[in-house]
Amino acid sequence: MKTLDRKRTILTLRWAVIILTCYLIFFGKGRITDPDWGHLFILAYIFSNLILIFLPQTWFSNPKFFYFLVVFDTGTVSLGMYLSERVATDFYLVFFLILILASVSRNFKLLMIVSGVTASLYGFLLYSWGLLGSEQSSSYILRIPFIFIMSAFYGYITQTFTKESQEQLVLSEDKYRGLFENAKEGIIILRNPDLQIADVNGEAGRLIGNPKKEVLQKDVVDLFDPLMRERALSFFEQVVKDGEGATDTLSLKRENGVTFEVDLSIKKIDLEDDSFFQLIFKDLTERRKLEKRIRESKRSLQAIVDGIQDSLFEQNLNYVILRVNRAVAEKTHLTYEQLIGRKCYEIYCRRTQPCPKCPATMTFQTKQLAHQTISDADSGTVSQISSFPILDDKGNLYSVVMYVRDVTEEQRLQEQLIQSEKLAGIGTLASGVAHEINNPLSGTITMAEAALEEDDLSVIRTYLGDIINCSQRINKIVTGLRSYSRIAKQDDRSLLDFNEVLEDSLKMVLLAVKRKPVEVVKKFQLVEKAKANLGEVQQVFTNLITNAFHAMEGREGVLTLTTRSLRDVVEVGIGDNGIGIPEKHIKKIFDAFFTTKKPGEGTGLGLNIVYRIVTKYGGTVDVESEEGLGTTFRLRFPIGRDEDGQENIGR
Amino acid sequence: MGKKILVVDDEEIVRKGLKIHLTKSGYNVEEAADGEEAIEWMKKNNFDLLICDIMMPKKDGWEVLKFVRSQTRTEDLPVIFLTAKSQDSDMFEGYERGANYYITKPFTKSQLLFGVNLMLGKERNPSY
Repeated sequence: MKTLDRKRTILTLRWAVIILTCYLIFFGKGRITDPDWGHLFILAYIFSNLILIFLPQTWFSNPKFFYFLVVFDTGTVSLGMYLSERVATDFYLVFFLILILASVSRNFKLLMIVSGVTASLYGFLLYSWGLLGSEQSSSYILRIPFIFIMSAFYGYITQTFTKESQEQLVLSEDKYRGLFENAKEGIIILRNPDLQIADVNGEAGRLIGNPKKEVLQKDVVDLFDPLMRERALSFFEQVVKDGEGATDTLSLKRENGVTFEVDLSIKKIDLEDDSFFQLIFKDLTERRKLEKRIRESKRSLQAIVDGIQDSLFEQNLNYVILRVNRAVAEKTHLTYEQLIGRKCYEIYCRRTQPCPKCPATMTFQTKQLAHQTISDADSGTVSQISSFPILDDKGNLYSVVMYVRDVTEEQRLQEQLIQSEKLAGIGTLASGVAHEINNPLSGTITMAEAALEEDDLSVIRTYLGDIINCSQRINKIVTGLRSYSRIAKQDDRSLLDFNEVLEDSLKMVLLAVKRKPVEVVKKFQLVEKAKANLGEVQQVFTNLITNAFHAMEGREGVLTLTTRSLRDVVEVGIGDNGIGIPEKHIKKIFDAFFTTKKPGEGTGLGLNIVYRIVTKYGGTVDVESEEGLGTTFRLRFPIGRDEDGQENIGR
Repeated sequence: MGKKILVVDDEEIVRKGLKIHLTKSGYNVEEAADGEEAIEWMKKNNFDLLICDIMMPKKDGWEVLKFVRSQTRTEDLPVIFLTAKSQDSDMFEGYERGANYYITKPFTKSQLLFGVNLMLGKERNPSY
């Protein structure tokens, strides 16, 4: 019922009471004992009703306010009756009857019927007593509607209140029933202290696999795995004894005999006059399955990680090792336990500070993958270290995975490869140079023979001069070849003027490949010196120049050599107008053993070595080529590398 | 009048040596420093023998040989390759392409004169 309606109804009913009471007091034939009190009563009643008009509507839905109204009105009406004195006794009787009816009744309709019957009975009594038609009859008759209205008033109040409280009760009952039934956990209500099952919710029934009714008839201990009966018993005994809540992990038995693990919690619930135990349990089957799966995936991950023969470990932002693979343990001769929690640099570098070139430091700053090649002077090993960032869901870095690969052997092999390619190159060069030596050698022999047969001393002298010239030429060639073939140590680096090296390399190749004239265009700029191994740089240049000559075979060749300084690199260009490289080959030219020459003519290592050497110095090789028009290689060597020439290889 | 020999080599010292020895043996010697020059000589003059290097600028020995064999006037001209290409395979290739004789550098006077005399049908010099 709406609050507004309730207020209006109550006010209307009260006005009706006031009017009737006024009539009874002032116009009834009965005598009023004390008119002043009567007036005061009427005034109080009217005044109270006027106050009610201004009271907020919400008050009318407050049960306490109702009680107050009932007490006030009952008191006032009783007072009014007392003051009207006449026939007070019968009035009291009727009034109390109404009160009883009203308070007993929970149904407004029924109350109205009963009050109607009562009013009729009263009318009948008046009639039978012969009071009707007498001089006081009007007052007596008027009592009938009074009874009726009063009944309606109290009845309405009572009914509203009971209805509301009932509604609330039903509402809260529904709410809790719903919670109870739909809970994700199994709930069993046990009576105190006999632990009889009083109620079971849907989830509990489902988990146990029994209809609710059957569960209700069981002993709670029988719901457990028979193997755990003892534990379950002691669990409950403890709970009943202490009266306190408890939790445990036990197994329940399903109807079909299958047992399943549950997280169990029990709590004593105290009501005013009763208490019971609430047993809540959660099925752990899914969680156990998940846990198993996590354990398995962890194990297989560890197996994979352990299977990697290179060292792999995870460290946090303070360089503390969190996880390691077997290779780390084997290489450091420490156990997993000894490794985890230690700082990376303590283990690997025997330092107290992070290594200055640690790629992890770089990853911490950039959140990017970083590489570094670090050589350990003590053990002579060279390691390539990579650090991979691990980000959380928000993209924050929380750890890095370090991958340490021992590249000592690889580097040694690479050095060997460079060296053997160089030897092969020397072989090719040597045969070319050998031809070149043959000319001055022929000159020496023929001139010596001529001198032997000559008598004129001055002619002999010119012949000897020729012989000396030829010998010097031979010497020059041999010296040049020797400087090229000198097998320089890997670490033997010096500041090189690339213009000079390029010029020397060209001479060397020109000695070896005597072709139809090739125009050589040199566009040399003054370039900064760069620190490198002379032999290796010569190897790069002679390889590329030789290739250029091969490409220009049978053509009017133009070899273009350029050098220039860019910001922090020296750029060397070696270009030809030869046959060019077919599009389909361009991606493969730097691959080892890729060659378009006939077997025996080329090793297929030339450009591969060029690439290896240049990248070793942190440089780059670019190639531009058009079939039929020529090829240009552009090499960029960085200048001013850090001391040992190692660099971040970010290919 | 001695027979005429054209010596073709880009190395001046080689030509010089050849000329000394051949002149002493009674031949008339003309020199050419490359293939083109040699062809020019042969267009204007008749020679009894051509001594030719293979690896030369402009036109190489092979082209000179091709020219010689293509001209009716010179197709029977004896040609000696005098070259630093000393491998057997090079020599075979020279003969295959139509050279009459093959001398590898470095060479001695006797090796040279043996070949020249052989080509020109002269009797063997008793001094060999």
